[in-house]
Amino acid sequence: MDFTIRPSKPEDCKDITRLIMELAEYEKMPDQVKISHEELKRDGFCQNPFYQCLIAEVPERHKTKDGHVKVGFALFFYTYSTWKGRCVYLEDLYVMPELRGKGIGKALMSSVAKVGKEQHCARMQLAVLDWNTPSMDFYMAKGAQDLTQSEGWHFLRFDGAALDKLAEEAPKN
Amino acid sequence: MDFTIHAATLEDCKDISRMILELAEYEKVSDQVKITQRDLEQDGFSKNPFYHGIIAEVPEQHKSKDGHTKVGYSLYFYTYSSWKGRAVYMEDLYVMPEYRGKGIGKALMSKVAQLGLAAGCTQLNFAVLDWNKPSLDFYLSQGCFDVTADLGYHCMRCEGESLEKLAQGDS
Repeated sequence: MDFTIRPSKPEDCKDITRLIMELAEYEKMPDQVKISHEELKRDGFCQNPFYQCLIAEVPERHKTKDGHVKVGFALFFYTYSTWKGRCVYLEDLYVMPELRGKGIGKALMSSVAKVGKEQHCARMQLAVLDWNTPSMDFYMAKGAQDLTQSEGWHFLRFDGAALDKLAEEAPKN
Repeated sequence: MDFTIHAATLEDCKDISRMILELAEYEKVSDQVKITQRDLEQDGFSKNPFYHGIIAEVPEQHKSKDGHTKVGYSLYFYTYSSWKGRAVYMEDLYVMPEYRGKGIGKALMSKVAQLGLAAGCTQLNFAVLDWNKPSLDFYLSQGCFDVTADLGYHCMRCEGESLEKLAQGDS
């Protein structure tokens, strides 16, 4: 099937929000999505963007049953390893179910890797839910290592009241 | 003990490089460190920096046995949650062993939280090795939660040959 992968534009933010919600539903956490398309637009297209996004688009004749031509996305940003230097982090990778099995997910992921290599990134990192076997298998087949399993890395997070409290305790100098 | 926290400058990169190695030794992986002082200078002080740093410094009269006054650091950068928006990621937090137990680590982490909130972030994220009990206990006591243990997220990585093949579209 014909499809194109291209960088997102401000007008794509409504579709990206839709696709983000679909992915969150798949991950069984739709109530966690608080972001709006206005926020996405502001943060992706400002002076120092917080993220970059690639969109997978199909021609009009292959649009989905709901009439969408924007059928997948990859959202990523640059991070830094104090051991290896520049890295790229793949925050989201998603293809609508009816367009799967056609190489779109693989093309999106490869495109992110390519952009990362052009920016001299030594690593691409991402997170996967432990029960999400199809995704785990997909990434492992591409050569990803599970660092939680092999090295014992855990993600930790401060948010809400705990984050506010921590910030209040910062020295005043 | 008196100490101050300041934003890292270009001149601090030598000490940051030294402390990165000390932290890697503690994590038992010092052979993994490929980054140089020059990389730190280029990547932290260009037009669109890849990271930001803060340094903990003690007065001259409290310098370390090797003569250092820069005794701790935190290196962080901004990330993005597609569910919550802007977030801050704390890549490293380190205090030299002889300066621990004086609130310096806590002060550095709080400062990152404060800077993150000021930049509109709603999360402070970071990673810890599961065998590193002193650090895990410290962080959990400060009110964070373990995203891996509680929600099941695993950290995954592509590098080296796998990353090359992926970038070429060959995997």
